Amino acid sequence: MKYTYDDEADVRTTALIRVMALFFVGIMIIAATTSPIATGTKEGERAPTLEGKFYNGSAWTEFDFESYWDSEWKEGDISGQWVAVEFMDTDCPYCVKSAEEMGVNANDFGGGNSGWDGAIVNFIASVTELDIGGHDSSRDEMKAFRNKIADSGEECANSDCGSRPGAAHNFPYIDDLDQENMKKWKVGGTPSYYLIQPDGIIAWSSAEHPGQELRDAIISLVPRESA
Amino acid sequence: MDPNLQLMLYVIPVLVGLLMILPLGRSIFAPLSETLPSLGNERGRVFSGLILTCIAGMAVSFQTLWISSKISEGGNFCASNSILSCDDVIGNAEYNVDPIFGIPWGGIGAVVNCILLYLVYSSSKEPNAGWVPSYLKIGTYITFAGFFVIGLLVYYEFQMAKICQYCTTAHFANIVAFIGFLRLRRMNDTKEWNEL
Repeated sequence: MKYTYDDEADVRTTALIRVMALFFVGIMIIAATTSPIATGTKEGERAPTLEGKFYNGSAWTEFDFESYWDSEWKEGDISGQWVAVEFMDTDCPYCVKSAEEMGVNANDFGGGNSGWDGAIVNFIASVTELDIGGHDSSRDEMKAFRNKIADSGEECANSDCGSRPGAAHNFPYIDDLDQENMKKWKVGGTPSYYLIQPDGIIAWSSAEHPGQELRDAIISLVPRESA
Repeated sequence: MDPNLQLMLYVIPVLVGLLMILPLGRSIFAPLSETLPSLGNERGRVFSGLILTCIAGMAVSFQTLWISSKISEGGNFCASNSILSCDDVIGNAEYNVDPIFGIPWGGIGAVVNCILLYLVYSSSKEPNAGWVPSYLKIGTYITFAGFFVIGLLVYYEFQMAKICQYCTTAHFANIVAFIGFLRLRRMNDTKEWNEL
């Protein structure tokens, strides 16, 4: 006798096959129509958000990191604006030392330098207060550090904030005194630098290139007309 | 297609599923029992409503997984300045994955609804099998556990001051499924189970 249908077969097997088929169809549709990028702080990952109030020289207002991104940007497109993020502490001696370099970089690559024919790089500083004795920061200290205000009564790494090397900065300083951004970005120490493409993908991080300067990364990664 | 209009593809089946599951569905779906005989009795109607709900729950979970993948590419799907903005919720890297394994919530929802669908679909095919009571019990426990996850996700939405309408639909599907499994479990203990 030839069986064309097995009445005795356990219905659970058939149900499982049908439901699994439905599940895999769903997974295949997602796999075929999207190419997800993980959010994180390693190179090639999408940069997490930076939150908090920022100071741009006039007032403290809500920072909108999303406004920097251009989802339509394609590699090599010179019109897209890159972002360089520095995680710093105004009481960290290395951050004080590198303040001059940051100011020079911001002036050289920020769009105001005719000698730079590459894409604009926007600089941002996320200022935290490390859990180390003597690191007592405040918004007033951040302002004094950024604007290089002499004799403000604010001390940065045991010296007058106004005496730090370099000129006053012209880029935004985000208040991250509660370390929220620093923890979210898993920043191990200050100063830490990230160079981010116009589409929000991290192109370079100082943690992955010990010894390499941010300036060198900008020159090698940011597209230029002359290149 | 407008994302809120597209959402109706999931909301309507869940609402229809709820009506089938609730006792008031008897009078609503009675006229359809001639063409769809399974709707002619309480057990068949609750099973049908539950299957419909689980399929819609699975589909909307897949859609949220798709939205999170699209957002990670840099795109947007339902971004809005109003309180209803699923992009802000699903795209928030801090909250859009489970805190233990880092799996997207949409993926978890799809797997859970897939398991629920298997439990209810196999039970509906052989309602008097010995394993059916335990399947219904597992389904009830899973959907009950879902309430804690819903509580956590609603807390996240409060934190963000945004509501993800797609996620809310998936939460609603879980609540409806819980009611369905509970009704089937109670019915399974009575004579009503075999009243055709």
